[in-house]
Amino acid sequence: MSAIRLEGSRGAAEPGGLDARRLRTLQSVGMLCGLTAGAWLGAAEAPTKLVTLGLSPVVISLGMVIGVFLARWTLPALIQGTSYIAADLRQAPHLIVWAVLAGCLWAVANTLTIFAVRDVGLSIAFPLWNSNSLLGILWGILFFQELRGADWRRWAGVLGGAVLMFAGATALAIASAAQVPPRDAARGVAAALGAGVLWGTMYIPYRKAYLTGMSPLSFITFFTVGELGMMTVLALTYSGGAGPLWAQLSGARHILFWLLAGGFVWVVGDLFQQYAVKYAGITRGIPLSNTNQLWGLLWGILVFGELRGASHSVLAQVIGGSIVMAIGAGVIALSSVSRSEHLRWQKAAAKEGARYGVDPEYTQSRIAGENTTSPPRPRTWIDWLVVGVATATIIGFALVARAPQISLRWEWAAVLVVATLGMLMGVGAALWRTTRFN
Amino acid sequence: MSDDREQHSAWLGLVLRDVQFWVPVAVLAGGLLVLRWIS
Repeated sequence: MSAIRLEGSRGAAEPGGLDARRLRTLQSVGMLCGLTAGAWLGAAEAPTKLVTLGLSPVVISLGMVIGVFLARWTLPALIQGTSYIAADLRQAPHLIVWAVLAGCLWAVANTLTIFAVRDVGLSIAFPLWNSNSLLGILWGILFFQELRGADWRRWAGVLGGAVLMFAGATALAIASAAQVPPRDAARGVAAALGAGVLWGTMYIPYRKAYLTGMSPLSFITFFTVGELGMMTVLALTYSGGAGPLWAQLSGARHILFWLLAGGFVWVVGDLFQQYAVKYAGITRGIPLSNTNQLWGLLWGILVFGELRGASHSVLAQVIGGSIVMAIGAGVIALSSVSRSEHLRWQKAAAKEGARYGVDPEYTQSRIAGENTTSPPRPRTWIDWLVVGVATATIIGFALVARAPQISLRWEWAAVLVVATLGMLMGVGAALWRTTRFN
Repeated sequence: MSDDREQHSAWLGLVLRDVQFWVPVAVLAGGLLVLRWIS
């Protein structure tokens, strides 16, 4: 039963709008997904610290993308099954192109972040590339009717929060000058900001897909084809060909598992981020998921001992800048979507569906987090084959893995792992109850 | 089979005529240039 009420129906909804209670529930779940995404995306950046061991940034990025590729096929196969994904794609085949393009953007951005972490450190680079939310907000307003129909308080909340986030990022960028040589700082800042622009623009394909109604689980399976393809091209180009790349990968085989694991963790965070974009929109979902900056700060300082020995003024700048950014994200999150704004989203969705000839019933039911157009499908042998091959690959890398020779504070790592797992289970259950992962 | 090909080229044409498609394409090209500069 779709929660979308048609014109003339009775109840709390406006003509053509979602039931008010259903809208509130979807919004809340979307916001929670954004916060959980922050925790997981923050945790996933920890393996990039391995760059200090002398590995090439493109090899690190390729290792992560291989993990991402395995996770992006395994999780959808486990959660919904490949036949569900195939049915979803038949409804909107044009989204394959958008998904591959988004994957290419992700791969280049991720590689830039490795350079940024190498040149200016995790706790500085993180907030800089998180400027992606500012760009995401801009695209949401320009292209997808977000904030249209919203009252002045919501505009002020989103734009004021964006200004706060920018101010926090600026404080952190200034702090970077005290930590590294100027040449490295300029390159690192350029890399981090470049990654922010790429990721901010990646939300255009995301929003295209979710306005149409596609499940994030379907979108990411093709997204990852773009990721792996682009990353392979980058790795071959910057390593000097297949032979040198293979030599580097062979030499790094003892730590490839950790990079794969980082990629896998990243996918969990990204999946929550995609549900946040779908149900809370770019303007709210992305700033919330950018709380990963705070989680990155916690991992950097508590687990890896970053900023040890830094002066009090640098510490004050980094911590103060991070807090200001977090407040900005909180202000944005509190500017929830009104029903009149949601009606504008639905108009944007209808326009998108009409452009590409997508079934309106499919689009409407999926925006409401429901699935009225295709029945549940049982798992097939293909699903178990995908899961089996991916699991065997990960186990294979784990068997030859060695603990990286890097100083860690394991007690703090355990605390952060328990917190992120708790969020996964709690919010994952809420998402399942509300949308069945549609 | 020919219907499939026609449908395929139809939605591909729609994507290529969509102005929003060229924004990420341009940003991707810019990102590759930044990567070339810093690496």
